[in-house]
Amino acid sequence: MVFTEAKRYYVERRIAERMAATSIDSFPAYFAFLRSEIRDEVEHIINAFTVNETYFYREDHQLECLTKDLLRERIQEKRRGDAIRIWSAPCSTGEEPYSIAIWLLENWSEVDNFNIEIVGSDIDTRVLGAASAGIFGKRALMRLPPDLVARYFEQLDDERWLILDDLRQSVQFSRVNLVETRQTRPQGQFDVIFCRNVLIYFDDESRRVAAENLYDNLLPGAFICLGHTESMSRISPLFEVCRYSDAIVYRRPREMKP
Amino acid sequence: MTPGGKKSVLVIDDASLVRAYYRQALEKAGYRVDEAMNGLEGLEKLLMHPFDVVIVDVNMPQMDGMTFLSTLRSKDLPLAGIPALVTSTEAGEQDVAAARRAGANYYVVKPISQEALANYIDLLTGVAR
Amino acid sequence: MPLVRRGSSETAAPRLDASTLTAALAGGSIDERWTAARAAAELPNGLALLSDALSREADPRVREAIFTSIARTRIPESAAALLPYLHSDDASLRAGALDALRAMPEATAPHLPGLLTDKDADVRVLACELVRNQPVGEANRLLRPILATESQANVCGAAVEVAAEVGGPDLLPLLAECAGRFPDDPFLGFAIQVASDRIGSQASNRG
Repeated sequence: MVFTEAKRYYVERRIAERMAATSIDSFPAYFAFLRSEIRDEVEHIINAFTVNETYFYREDHQLECLTKDLLRERIQEKRRGDAIRIWSAPCSTGEEPYSIAIWLLENWSEVDNFNIEIVGSDIDTRVLGAASAGIFGKRALMRLPPDLVARYFEQLDDERWLILDDLRQSVQFSRVNLVETRQTRPQGQFDVIFCRNVLIYFDDESRRVAAENLYDNLLPGAFICLGHTESMSRISPLFEVCRYSDAIVYRRPREMKP
Repeated sequence: MTPGGKKSVLVIDDASLVRAYYRQALEKAGYRVDEAMNGLEGLEKLLMHPFDVVIVDVNMPQMDGMTFLSTLRSKDLPLAGIPALVTSTEAGEQDVAAARRAGANYYVVKPISQEALANYIDLLTGVAR
Repeated sequence: MPLVRRGSSETAAPRLDASTLTAALAGGSIDERWTAARAAAELPNGLALLSDALSREADPRVREAIFTSIARTRIPESAAALLPYLHSDDASLRAGALDALRAMPEATAPHLPGLLTDKDADVRVLACELVRNQPVGEANRLLRPILATESQANVCGAAVEVAAEVGGPDLLPLLAECAGRFPDDPFLGFAIQVASDRIGSQASNRG
Protein backbone atom coordinates (compact mmCIF):
# COMPACT_ATOMS: atom_id res chain seq x y z
CA MET A 1 0.00 0.00 0.00
CA VAL A 2 1.30 3.44 -0.84
CA PHE A 3 0.39 6.46 1.23
CA THR A 4 0.84 10.02 0.15
CA GLU A 5 1.28 12.91 2.54
CA ALA A 6 -2.40 13.66 2.07
CA LYS A 7 -3.29 10.35 3.62
CA ARG A 8 -1.21 10.98 6.70
CA TYR A 9 -4.18 12.04 8.75
CA TYR A 10 -6.07 8.94 7.65
CA VAL A 11 -3.17 6.73 8.68
CA GLU A 12 -2.82 8.45 12.04
CA ARG A 13 -6.51 8.08 12.77
CA ARG A 14 -6.47 4.36 11.97
CA ILE A 15 -3.48 3.75 14.20
CA ALA A 16 -5.01 5.81 17.00
CA GLU A 17 -8.15 3.67 16.74
CA ARG A 18 -6.17 0.45 16.99
CA MET A 19 -4.18 1.78 19.94
CA ALA A 20 -7.39 2.65 21.72
CA ALA A 21 -8.88 -0.73 20.89
CA THR A 22 -5.87 -2.56 22.34
CA SER A 23 -5.44 -0.19 25.33
CA ILE A 24 -1.85 0.52 24.38
CA ASP A 25 -1.05 4.16 24.88
CA SER A 26 2.37 4.61 23.37
CA PHE A 27 3.17 4.13 19.73
CA PRO A 28 6.45 2.22 20.32
CA ALA A 29 4.54 -0.18 22.56
CA TYR A 30 1.84 -0.55 19.94
CA PHE A 31 4.44 -1.12 17.26
CA ALA A 32 6.10 -3.82 19.32
CA PHE A 33 2.71 -5.40 19.90
CA LEU A 34 2.05 -5.34 16.16
CA ARG A 35 5.39 -6.97 15.44
CA SER A 36 4.88 -9.64 18.04
CA GLU A 37 1.90 -10.82 15.99
CA ILE A 38 -0.17 -11.48 19.05
CA ARG A 39 -3.91 -11.69 18.69
CA ASP A 40 -4.17 -10.89 15.02
CA GLU A 41 -3.31 -7.24 15.43
CA VAL A 42 -1.76 -7.33 11.98
CA GLU A 43 -5.06 -8.52 10.57
CA HIS A 44 -6.94 -5.77 12.38
CA ILE A 45 -4.75 -3.03 11.15
CA ILE A 46 -4.84 -4.33 7.60
CA ASN A 47 -8.61 -4.43 7.75
CA ALA A 48 -8.59 -0.92 9.15
CA PHE A 49 -6.68 0.28 6.13
CA THR A 50 -8.31 -1.64 3.34
CA VAL A 51 -11.47 0.31 2.89
CA ASN A 52 -14.14 -2.33 3.04
CA GLU A 53 -14.65 -2.23 -0.65
CA THR A 54 -17.70 -3.96 -1.84
CA TYR A 55 -18.61 -4.91 -5.37
CA PHE A 56 -20.70 -7.48 -7.16
CA TYR A 57 -19.42 -11.04 -7.11
CA ARG A 58 -16.72 -10.01 -4.68
CA GLU A 59 -16.31 -13.46 -3.18
CA ASP A 60 -17.48 -15.58 -6.04
CA HIS A 61 -15.89 -18.70 -4.56
CA GLN A 62 -18.30 -18.34 -1.67
CA LEU A 63 -21.17 -18.02 -4.15
CA GLU A 64 -20.00 -21.19 -5.84
CA CYS A 65 -19.89 -22.92 -2.49
CA LEU A 66 -23.42 -21.66 -1.87
CA THR A 67 -24.93 -23.42 -4.86
CA LYS A 68 -22.57 -26.36 -5.21
CA ASP A 69 -22.54 -27.38 -1.56
CA LEU A 70 -24.64 -25.43 0.91
CA LEU A 71 -27.96 -25.22 -0.88
CA ARG A 72 -27.56 -28.75 -2.17
CA GLU A 73 -27.46 -29.84 1.48
CA ARG A 74 -30.29 -27.61 2.52
CA ILE A 75 -32.73 -28.81 -0.11
CA GLN A 76 -32.28 -32.44 0.85
CA GLU A 77 -35.01 -32.04 3.39
CA LYS A 78 -37.14 -29.55 1.51
CA ARG A 79 -39.98 -30.08 -0.94
CA ARG A 80 -40.67 -28.16 -4.11
CA GLY A 81 -42.07 -24.75 -3.33
CA ASP A 82 -40.55 -24.59 0.11
CA ALA A 83 -38.82 -21.42 1.19
CA ILE A 84 -35.08 -20.96 1.14
CA ARG A 85 -33.99 -17.99 3.21
CA ILE A 86 -30.63 -16.30 2.84
CA TRP A 87 -29.37 -13.45 4.98
CA SER A 88 -26.69 -10.97 4.07
CA ALA A 89 -25.73 -9.12 7.24
CA PRO A 90 -24.18 -6.61 7.04
CA CYS A 91 -25.36 -5.95 3.50
CA SER A 92 -23.82 -2.50 3.15
CA THR A 93 -24.91 -0.86 -0.11
CA GLY A 94 -26.52 -4.06 -1.39
CA GLU A 95 -23.85 -5.60 -3.60
CA GLU A 96 -23.81 -8.81 -1.60
CA PRO A 97 -27.55 -9.61 -1.49
CA TYR A 98 -28.06 -8.59 -5.11
CA SER A 99 -25.04 -10.68 -6.11
CA ILE A 100 -26.60 -13.65 -4.39
CA ALA A 101 -29.84 -13.06 -6.28
CA ILE A 102 -28.14 -12.79 -9.65
CA TRP A 103 -25.89 -15.74 -8.96
CA LEU A 104 -28.80 -17.98 -8.07
CA LEU A 105 -30.77 -16.98 -11.13
CA GLU A 106 -27.77 -17.56 -13.35
CA ASN A 107 -26.17 -20.61 -11.78
CA TRP A 108 -28.56 -22.65 -9.73
CA SER A 109 -30.44 -25.35 -11.56
CA GLU A 110 -32.94 -25.64 -8.72
CA VAL A 111 -33.73 -21.95 -8.57
CA ASP A 112 -37.26 -22.33 -9.93
CA ASN A 113 -38.16 -25.11 -7.52
CA PHE A 114 -38.09 -23.06 -4.37
CA ASN A 115 -39.27 -19.74 -3.02
CA ILE A 116 -36.06 -17.92 -2.34
CA GLU A 117 -36.10 -15.10 0.15
CA ILE A 118 -33.06 -12.88 0.35
CA VAL A 119 -32.78 -10.44 3.22
CA GLY A 120 -30.15 -7.72 3.46
CA SER A 121 -29.56 -6.04 6.82
CA ASP A 122 -27.24 -3.37 8.09
CA ILE A 123 -26.97 -1.07 11.10
CA ASP A 124 -26.41 1.95 8.87
CA THR A 125 -29.60 3.37 7.38
CA ARG A 126 -27.76 5.39 4.75
CA VAL A 127 -26.26 2.32 3.12
CA LEU A 128 -29.62 0.60 3.36
CA GLY A 129 -31.18 3.48 1.53
CA ALA A 130 -28.60 3.18 -1.20
CA ALA A 131 -29.15 -0.56 -1.35
CA SER A 132 -32.89 -0.14 -1.81
CA ALA A 133 -32.33 2.48 -4.46
CA GLY A 134 -30.26 -0.04 -6.40
CA ILE A 135 -28.01 2.36 -8.28
CA PHE A 136 -24.40 1.29 -8.75
CA GLY A 137 -21.26 2.67 -10.33
CA LYS A 138 -18.65 1.20 -12.62
CA ARG A 139 -16.40 -0.02 -9.82
CA ALA A 140 -19.19 -1.99 -8.20
CA LEU A 141 -19.90 -3.80 -11.45
CA MET A 142 -16.33 -4.39 -12.51
CA ARG A 143 -16.35 -8.13 -11.92
CA LEU A 144 -19.60 -8.80 -13.68
CA PRO A 145 -19.38 -9.97 -17.28
CA PRO A 146 -21.00 -7.50 -19.69
CA ASP A 147 -23.86 -9.84 -20.53
CA LEU A 148 -24.89 -9.99 -16.87
CA VAL A 149 -24.76 -6.24 -16.59
CA ALA A 150 -26.90 -5.96 -19.68
CA ARG A 151 -29.35 -8.52 -18.38
CA TYR A 152 -29.87 -7.21 -14.86
CA PHE A 153 -29.16 -3.50 -15.00
CA GLU A 154 -30.40 -0.50 -16.85
CA GLN A 155 -27.72 2.02 -17.64
CA LEU A 156 -28.79 5.46 -16.50
CA ASP A 157 -25.72 7.37 -17.63
CA ASP A 158 -21.92 7.02 -17.93
CA GLU A 159 -21.50 6.44 -14.24
CA ARG A 160 -24.66 4.79 -13.03
CA TRP A 161 -26.56 1.59 -13.50
CA LEU A 162 -29.91 0.79 -11.96
CA ILE A 163 -30.61 -2.80 -11.01
CA LEU A 164 -33.77 -4.25 -12.57
CA ASP A 165 -36.90 -3.53 -10.65
CA ASP A 166 -37.77 -7.21 -10.31
CA LEU A 167 -34.52 -7.79 -8.45
CA ARG A 168 -34.76 -4.61 -6.48
CA GLN A 169 -38.21 -5.65 -5.28
CA SER A 170 -37.16 -9.17 -4.47
CA VAL A 171 -34.62 -8.37 -1.76
CA GLN A 172 -35.91 -7.33 1.64
CA PHE A 173 -33.79 -4.71 3.39
CA SER A 174 -33.94 -4.08 7.11
CA ARG A 175 -32.08 -2.14 9.71
CA VAL A 176 -30.50 -4.51 12.20
CA ASN A 177 -27.82 -4.25 14.83
CA LEU A 178 -26.47 -7.79 15.14
CA VAL A 179 -25.89 -7.35 18.86
CA GLU A 180 -29.52 -6.47 19.55
CA THR A 181 -31.60 -9.60 19.94
CA ARG A 182 -34.77 -7.57 19.65
CA GLN A 183 -33.68 -6.59 16.16
CA THR A 184 -32.23 -9.89 15.01
CA ARG A 185 -34.99 -12.23 16.22
CA PRO A 186 -37.75 -10.80 13.98
CA GLN A 187 -35.65 -11.59 10.92
CA GLY A 188 -36.52 -15.24 11.42
CA GLN A 189 -34.44 -18.30 10.69
CA PHE A 190 -32.30 -18.75 7.63
CA ASP A 191 -30.77 -21.54 5.57
CA VAL A 192 -27.60 -19.57 4.89
CA ILE A 193 -26.21 -16.46 6.54
CA PHE A 194 -23.37 -14.38 5.13
CA CYS A 195 -21.86 -12.39 7.97
CA ARG A 196 -18.60 -11.16 6.65
CA ASN A 197 -16.01 -8.88 8.19
CA VAL A 198 -18.09 -7.46 11.00
CA LEU A 199 -17.74 -9.73 14.03
CA ILE A 200 -14.04 -9.01 14.32
CA TYR A 201 -14.81 -5.40 15.14
CA PHE A 202 -16.91 -6.21 18.19
CA ASP A 203 -15.55 -6.43 21.72
CA ASP A 204 -15.52 -9.80 23.47
CA GLU A 205 -18.92 -9.47 25.02
CA SER A 206 -20.71 -8.11 21.95
CA ARG A 207 -19.12 -10.77 19.81
CA ARG A 208 -20.57 -13.51 21.99
CA VAL A 209 -24.02 -11.95 21.98
CA ALA A 210 -23.93 -11.49 18.20
CA ALA A 211 -22.81 -15.11 17.71
CA GLU A 212 -25.68 -16.30 19.88
CA ASN A 213 -28.10 -14.15 17.91
CA LEU A 214 -26.81 -15.59 14.66
CA TYR A 215 -27.21 -19.08 16.07
CA ASP A 216 -30.86 -18.31 16.76
CA ASN A 217 -31.28 -16.99 13.25
CA LEU A 218 -30.16 -20.29 11.76
CA LEU A 219 -32.33 -23.31 11.17
CA PRO A 220 -30.82 -26.49 12.62
CA GLY A 221 -28.17 -27.70 10.20
CA ALA A 222 -28.04 -24.34 8.43
CA PHE A 223 -24.86 -22.54 7.47
CA ILE A 224 -23.06 -19.33 8.26
CA CYS A 225 -20.15 -17.95 6.24
CA LEU A 226 -17.68 -15.49 7.66
CA GLY A 227 -15.09 -13.35 5.87
CA HIS A 228 -12.11 -14.97 4.28
CA THR A 229 -9.70 -14.21 7.13
CA GLU A 230 -12.16 -14.66 9.98
CA SER A 231 -12.63 -17.70 12.15
CA MET A 232 -15.26 -18.80 14.65
CA SER A 233 -12.38 -20.11 16.74
CA ARG A 234 -11.88 -16.58 18.00
CA ILE A 235 -15.59 -15.89 18.35
CA SER A 236 -17.77 -18.69 19.63
CA PRO A 237 -17.83 -22.45 20.27
CA LEU A 238 -21.48 -22.80 19.23
CA PHE A 239 -20.94 -23.75 15.61
CA GLU A 240 -19.62 -26.85 13.90
CA VAL A 241 -16.88 -26.34 11.38
CA CYS A 242 -17.15 -27.85 7.90
CA ARG A 243 -14.99 -27.69 4.87
CA TYR A 244 -16.64 -27.34 1.51
CA SER A 245 -14.70 -26.81 -1.73
CA ASP A 246 -11.90 -24.54 -0.65
CA ALA A 247 -13.65 -22.78 2.16
CA ILE A 248 -14.40 -23.17 5.81
CA VAL A 249 -18.09 -22.80 6.59
CA TYR A 250 -19.83 -23.01 9.96
CA ARG A 251 -23.03 -24.73 10.81
CA ARG A 252 -25.62 -24.75 13.52
CA PRO A 253 -25.69 -28.39 14.65
CA ARG A 254 -28.59 -30.44 13.40
CA GLU A 255 -31.29 -31.31 15.85
CA MET A 256 -30.56 -34.59 17.59
CA LYS A 257 -33.38 -37.05 17.22
CA PRO A 258 -34.61 -37.97 20.69
CA MET B 1 3.89 -34.86 3.31
CA THR B 2 4.58 -31.35 2.12
CA PRO B 3 6.83 -30.26 -0.74
CA GLY B 4 10.50 -30.84 -0.05
CA GLY B 5 9.75 -34.04 1.81
CA LYS B 6 9.35 -32.36 5.16
CA LYS B 7 6.80 -33.78 7.51
CA SER B 8 4.41 -31.26 8.97
CA VAL B 9 3.33 -30.72 12.55
CA LEU B 10 0.34 -28.78 13.83
CA VAL B 11 0.93 -27.36 17.31
CA ILE B 12 -2.19 -26.51 19.27
CA ASP B 13 -1.65 -24.63 22.52
CA ASP B 14 -3.11 -21.38 23.78
CA ALA B 15 0.27 -20.04 24.97
CA SER B 16 2.20 -18.33 22.19
CA LEU B 17 5.53 -18.97 23.92
CA VAL B 18 4.84 -22.68 24.19
CA ARG B 19 4.06 -22.76 20.49
CA ALA B 20 7.27 -20.84 19.77
CA TYR B 21 9.25 -23.30 21.90
CA TYR B 22 7.89 -26.32 20.08
CA ARG B 23 8.34 -24.60 16.75
CA GLN B 24 12.00 -23.97 17.43
CA ALA B 25 12.55 -27.57 18.48
CA LEU B 26 10.73 -29.08 15.54
CA GLU B 27 12.02 -26.78 12.83
CA LYS B 28 15.51 -27.56 14.01
CA ALA B 29 14.65 -31.24 13.63
CA GLY B 30 13.53 -30.65 10.06
CA TYR B 31 9.76 -30.38 10.41
CA ARG B 32 7.42 -27.82 8.92
CA VAL B 33 5.36 -26.29 11.75
CA ASP B 34 1.99 -24.56 11.86
CA GLU B 35 0.15 -23.28 14.93
CA ALA B 36 -3.34 -22.97 16.32
CA MET B 37 -4.38 -21.39 19.58
CA ASN B 38 -7.34 -23.54 20.47
CA GLY B 39 -9.05 -26.75 19.43
CA LEU B 40 -11.47 -25.01 17.08
CA GLU B 41 -8.73 -23.31 15.15
CA GLY B 42 -6.85 -26.59 15.16
CA LEU B 43 -9.77 -28.39 13.55
CA GLU B 44 -10.04 -25.71 10.90
CA LYS B 45 -6.38 -25.97 9.99
CA LEU B 46 -6.58 -29.74 9.85
CA LEU B 47 -9.56 -29.50 7.52
CA MET B 48 -7.77 -27.16 5.17
CA HIS B 49 -4.24 -28.61 5.03
CA PRO B 50 -2.59 -31.99 5.42
CA PHE B 51 -0.49 -32.60 8.52
CA ASP B 52 1.46 -35.64 9.60
CA VAL B 53 1.03 -35.20 13.33
CA VAL B 54 -0.71 -32.93 15.79
CA ILE B 55 0.42 -31.81 19.23
CA VAL B 56 -2.41 -30.64 21.41
CA ASP B 57 -2.51 -29.31 24.94
CA VAL B 58 -5.21 -30.41 27.31
CA ASN B 59 -6.13 -27.01 28.70
CA MET B 60 -7.31 -24.49 26.17
CA PRO B 61 -10.20 -22.03 25.96
CA GLN B 62 -13.08 -22.39 23.48
CA MET B 63 -12.39 -26.08 22.96
CA ASP B 64 -10.13 -28.06 25.27
CA GLY B 65 -7.75 -30.76 24.11
CA MET B 66 -9.92 -33.75 24.97
CA THR B 67 -12.94 -32.33 23.18
CA PHE B 68 -10.77 -31.52 20.19
CA LEU B 69 -9.43 -35.03 20.07
CA SER B 70 -12.80 -36.76 20.38
CA THR B 71 -14.31 -34.45 17.77
CA LEU B 72 -11.39 -35.15 15.46
CA ARG B 73 -11.56 -38.92 15.91
CA SER B 74 -15.29 -38.95 15.23
CA LYS B 75 -15.03 -37.26 11.84
CA ASP B 76 -15.67 -39.44 8.85
CA LEU B 77 -12.50 -38.27 7.13
CA PRO B 78 -8.95 -39.63 6.66
CA LEU B 79 -7.58 -36.86 8.85
CA ALA B 80 -9.47 -38.33 11.79
CA GLY B 81 -6.69 -40.86 12.26
CA ILE B 82 -3.79 -38.40 12.42
CA PRO B 83 -1.24 -39.27 15.14
CA ALA B 84 -1.78 -37.05 18.16
CA LEU B 85 0.50 -36.21 21.03
CA VAL B 86 -1.27 -34.73 24.03
CA THR B 87 0.57 -32.43 26.42
CA SER B 88 -0.51 -31.63 29.93
CA THR B 89 0.75 -30.44 33.28
CA GLU B 90 -1.05 -33.36 34.94
CA ALA B 91 0.69 -36.67 35.47
CA GLY B 92 -2.20 -38.59 37.05
CA GLU B 93 -3.32 -41.99 35.78
CA GLN B 94 -6.87 -40.75 35.26
CA ASP B 95 -5.64 -37.94 33.05
CA VAL B 96 -3.58 -40.30 30.94
CA ALA B 97 -6.48 -42.74 30.69
CA ALA B 98 -8.86 -39.96 29.68
CA ALA B 99 -6.49 -38.87 26.96
CA ARG B 100 -6.20 -42.40 25.66
CA ARG B 101 -9.98 -42.73 25.59
CA ALA B 102 -10.26 -39.50 23.65
CA GLY B 103 -7.84 -40.90 21.09
CA ALA B 104 -4.35 -39.75 22.03
CA ASN B 105 -1.43 -41.76 20.70
CA TYR B 106 0.96 -40.39 23.25
CA TYR B 107 0.76 -38.34 26.42
CA VAL B 108 3.55 -36.11 27.67
CA VAL B 109 3.77 -34.15 30.89
CA LYS B 110 5.14 -30.63 30.69
CA PRO B 111 7.75 -29.30 30.81
CA ILE B 112 9.30 -31.20 27.99
CA SER B 113 12.78 -30.69 26.61
CA GLN B 114 13.11 -29.74 22.97
CA GLU B 115 15.12 -32.87 22.30
CA ALA B 116 12.54 -35.14 23.86
CA LEU B 117 9.76 -33.43 21.89
CA ALA B 118 11.58 -33.96 18.61
CA ASN B 119 12.13 -37.62 19.53
CA TYR B 120 8.44 -38.19 20.22
CA ILE B 121 7.48 -36.55 16.96
CA ASP B 122 10.02 -38.69 15.11
CA LEU B 123 8.38 -41.75 16.65
CA LEU B 124 4.87 -40.65 15.76
CA THR B 125 5.73 -39.80 12.18
CA GLY B 126 7.92 -42.82 11.56
CA VAL B 127 11.07 -40.81 10.98
CA ALA B 128 14.26 -42.77 11.65
CA ARG B 129 17.39 -40.91 12.68
CA MET C 1 -39.40 -15.09 -10.52
CA PRO C 2 -38.46 -17.54 -7.79
CA LEU C 3 -37.20 -14.72 -5.58
CA VAL C 4 -39.81 -13.61 -3.11
CA ARG C 5 -40.01 -10.92 -0.52
CA ARG C 6 -42.00 -11.09 2.65
CA GLY C 7 -42.34 -8.50 5.37
CA SER C 8 -40.54 -9.40 8.56
CA SER C 9 -42.67 -11.09 11.14
CA GLU C 10 -42.88 -9.83 14.66
CA THR C 11 -42.28 -12.90 16.74
CA ALA C 12 -43.12 -12.55 20.38
CA ALA C 13 -40.15 -11.93 22.63
CA PRO C 14 -40.01 -14.17 25.70
CA ARG C 15 -41.77 -12.80 28.74
CA LEU C 16 -39.29 -10.97 30.82
CA ASP C 17 -40.04 -11.76 34.43
CA ALA C 18 -38.00 -13.64 36.96
CA SER C 19 -40.49 -16.39 37.72
CA THR C 20 -41.11 -17.32 34.08
CA LEU C 21 -37.42 -17.39 33.35
CA THR C 22 -36.60 -19.33 36.49
CA ALA C 23 -39.19 -21.93 35.58
CA ALA C 24 -37.85 -22.19 32.05
CA LEU C 25 -34.29 -22.53 33.28
CA ALA C 26 -35.25 -25.21 35.73
CA GLY C 27 -37.50 -27.40 33.63
CA GLY C 28 -37.59 -26.30 30.02
CA SER C 29 -36.20 -27.97 26.92
CA ILE C 30 -32.71 -27.06 25.77
CA ASP C 31 -34.08 -24.36 23.49
CA GLU C 32 -36.31 -22.98 26.24
CA ARG C 33 -33.43 -22.88 28.71
CA TRP C 34 -31.21 -21.27 26.08
CA THR C 35 -33.74 -18.54 25.34
CA ALA C 36 -34.41 -17.95 29.03
CA ALA C 37 -30.68 -17.75 29.83
CA ARG C 38 -30.25 -15.14 27.13
CA ALA C 39 -33.26 -13.13 28.25
CA ALA C 40 -32.15 -13.16 31.90
CA ALA C 41 -29.31 -10.79 31.01
CA GLU C 42 -31.94 -8.05 30.75
CA LEU C 43 -33.40 -8.61 34.19
CA PRO C 44 -32.31 -6.26 36.97
CA ASN C 45 -31.61 -9.21 39.27
CA GLY C 46 -30.64 -11.62 36.58
CA LEU C 47 -27.36 -12.60 38.17
CA ALA C 48 -28.90 -14.61 41.01
CA LEU C 49 -31.11 -16.48 38.59
CA LEU C 50 -28.28 -17.14 36.17
CA SER C 51 -25.87 -18.16 38.86
CA ASP C 52 -28.36 -20.65 40.19
CA ALA C 53 -29.04 -22.05 36.75
CA LEU C 54 -25.35 -22.44 36.05
CA SER C 55 -24.92 -24.63 39.08
CA ARG C 56 -27.37 -27.15 37.62
CA GLU C 57 -26.95 -26.82 33.88
CA ALA C 58 -25.21 -29.57 31.94
CA ASP C 59 -25.87 -28.66 28.34
CA PRO C 60 -22.80 -26.90 26.81
CA ARG C 61 -24.83 -24.53 24.64
CA VAL C 62 -27.03 -23.38 27.52
CA ARG C 63 -23.98 -23.02 29.74
CA GLU C 64 -22.38 -20.82 27.10
CA ALA C 65 -25.48 -18.62 27.01
CA ILE C 66 -25.53 -18.38 30.81
CA PHE C 67 -21.88 -17.35 30.85
CA THR C 68 -22.50 -14.72 28.20
CA SER C 69 -25.44 -13.33 30.14
CA ILE C 70 -23.43 -13.24 33.36
CA ALA C 71 -20.65 -11.40 31.52
CA ARG C 72 -23.21 -8.90 30.31
CA THR C 73 -24.35 -8.03 33.81
CA ARG C 74 -20.84 -6.69 34.38
CA ILE C 75 -21.20 -5.88 38.06
CA PRO C 76 -18.46 -6.89 40.50
CA GLU C 77 -20.80 -9.55 41.90
CA SER C 78 -20.85 -11.28 38.53
CA ALA C 79 -17.14 -11.88 38.73
CA ALA C 80 -17.60 -13.18 42.28
CA ALA C 81 -20.30 -15.55 41.07
CA LEU C 82 -17.94 -17.03 38.50
CA LEU C 83 -14.86 -17.47 40.66
CA PRO C 84 -15.87 -20.82 42.13
CA TYR C 85 -16.00 -22.27 38.63
CA LEU C 86 -12.31 -21.63 38.17
CA HIS C 87 -11.85 -24.41 40.70
CA SER C 88 -14.17 -26.82 38.92
CA ASP C 89 -13.07 -30.29 37.88
CA ASP C 90 -14.97 -29.80 34.67
CA ALA C 91 -12.60 -28.29 32.07
CA SER C 92 -15.40 -26.72 30.08
CA LEU C 93 -16.81 -24.98 33.16
CA ARG C 94 -13.38 -23.62 33.98
CA ALA C 95 -12.91 -22.45 30.40
CA GLY C 96 -16.41 -20.95 30.29
CA ALA C 97 -15.90 -19.04 33.52
CA LEU C 98 -12.52 -17.83 32.33
CA ASP C 99 -13.92 -16.58 29.02
CA ALA C 100 -16.72 -14.74 30.80
CA LEU C 101 -14.31 -13.16 33.29
CA ARG C 102 -12.06 -12.21 30.41
CA ALA C 103 -14.91 -10.26 28.89
CA MET C 104 -15.34 -8.14 32.03
CA PRO C 105 -11.90 -6.91 33.13
CA GLU C 106 -13.22 -4.14 35.38
CA ALA C 107 -15.46 -6.43 37.40
CA THR C 108 -12.66 -9.00 37.61
CA ALA C 109 -9.90 -6.62 38.72
CA PRO C 110 -10.66 -6.53 42.47
CA HIS C 111 -10.49 -10.32 42.61
CA LEU C 112 -7.17 -10.76 40.89
CA PRO C 113 -4.84 -10.36 43.86
CA GLY C 114 -6.73 -13.15 45.60
CA LEU C 115 -6.77 -15.40 42.57
CA LEU C 116 -3.08 -14.92 41.97
CA THR C 117 -2.36 -16.21 45.46
CA ASP C 118 -4.91 -19.03 45.45
CA LYS C 119 -3.55 -22.22 46.95
CA ASP C 120 -4.47 -24.13 43.79
CA ALA C 121 -1.73 -23.67 41.20
CA ASP C 122 -4.16 -24.31 38.33
CA VAL C 123 -6.25 -21.36 39.49
CA ARG C 124 -3.16 -19.17 39.65
CA VAL C 125 -2.43 -20.17 36.04
CA LEU C 126 -5.91 -19.08 34.96
CA ALA C 127 -5.56 -15.88 36.97
CA CYS C 128 -2.45 -14.94 34.98
CA GLU C 129 -4.52 -15.13 31.82
CA LEU C 130 -6.95 -12.63 33.34
CA VAL C 131 -4.13 -10.20 34.05
CA ARG C 132 -3.64 -9.86 30.31
CA ASN C 133 -6.79 -7.79 29.84
CA GLN C 134 -6.10 -5.38 32.66
CA PRO C 135 -4.72 -1.92 31.90
CA VAL C 136 -1.02 -2.23 31.14
CA GLY C 137 0.25 -0.55 34.30
CA GLU C 138 -1.96 -2.64 36.52
CA ALA C 139 -1.01 -5.82 34.68
CA ASN C 140 2.66 -5.11 35.29
CA ARG C 141 1.99 -4.46 38.94
CA LEU C 142 0.16 -7.77 39.31
CA LEU C 143 2.87 -9.74 37.53
CA ARG C 144 5.70 -8.55 39.75
CA PRO C 145 5.04 -10.71 42.83
CA ILE C 146 4.46 -13.79 40.68
CA LEU C 147 7.74 -13.41 38.86
CA ALA C 148 9.48 -12.66 42.13
CA THR C 149 8.18 -15.47 44.31
CA GLU C 150 5.99 -18.03 42.53
CA SER C 151 7.24 -21.55 43.14
CA GLN C 152 5.32 -23.47 40.48
CA ALA C 153 6.90 -23.50 37.04
CA ASN C 154 3.69 -23.61 35.06
CA VAL C 155 2.31 -20.58 36.90
CA CYS C 156 5.51 -18.74 36.08
CA GLY C 157 5.11 -19.86 32.50
CA ALA C 158 1.65 -18.33 32.38
CA ALA C 159 2.95 -15.10 33.92
CA VAL C 160 5.84 -14.92 31.47
CA GLU C 161 3.39 -15.41 28.58
CA VAL C 162 1.51 -12.32 29.69
CA ALA C 163 4.72 -10.41 30.45
CA ALA C 164 5.84 -11.01 26.87
CA GLU C 165 2.79 -9.17 25.67
CA VAL C 166 2.37 -6.32 28.15
CA GLY C 167 5.53 -6.27 30.23
CA GLY C 168 7.56 -3.12 30.73
CA PRO C 169 11.32 -2.82 31.30
CA ASP C 170 10.78 -2.88 35.06
CA LEU C 171 9.99 -6.55 34.78
CA LEU C 172 13.33 -7.47 33.25
CA PRO C 173 15.23 -8.01 36.51
CA LEU C 174 12.32 -10.04 37.88
CA LEU C 175 12.26 -12.19 34.77
CA ALA C 176 15.95 -12.89 35.20
CA GLU C 177 15.38 -13.82 38.83
CA CYS C 178 12.58 -16.12 37.84
CA ALA C 179 14.80 -17.91 35.34
CA GLY C 180 17.31 -18.37 38.12
CA ARG C 181 14.75 -20.14 40.30
CA PHE C 182 14.13 -22.82 37.65
CA PRO C 183 17.50 -23.56 36.08
CA ASP C 184 16.42 -27.02 34.92
CA ASP C 185 13.18 -26.06 33.22
CA PRO C 186 13.98 -25.86 29.49
CA PHE C 187 10.72 -24.26 28.49
CA LEU C 188 10.79 -21.55 31.12
CA GLY C 189 14.34 -20.58 30.22
CA PHE C 190 13.30 -20.22 26.59
CA ALA C 191 10.13 -18.30 27.44
CA ILE C 192 11.90 -15.85 29.72
CA GLN C 193 14.53 -15.23 27.06
CA VAL C 194 11.92 -14.46 24.43
CA ALA C 195 9.90 -12.26 26.78
CA SER C 196 13.00 -10.35 27.87
CA ASP C 197 14.10 -9.86 24.27
CA ARG C 198 10.69 -8.51 23.34
CA ILE C 199 10.53 -6.13 26.25
CA GLY C 200 14.10 -5.03 25.61
CA SER C 201 13.49 -4.27 21.96
CA GLN C 202 10.36 -2.32 22.84
CA ALA C 203 12.40 -0.21 25.25
CA SER C 204 14.97 0.53 22.60
CA ASN C 205 12.25 1.50 20.11
CA ARG C 206 11.00 3.96 22.62
CA GLY C 207 14.44 5.56 22.87
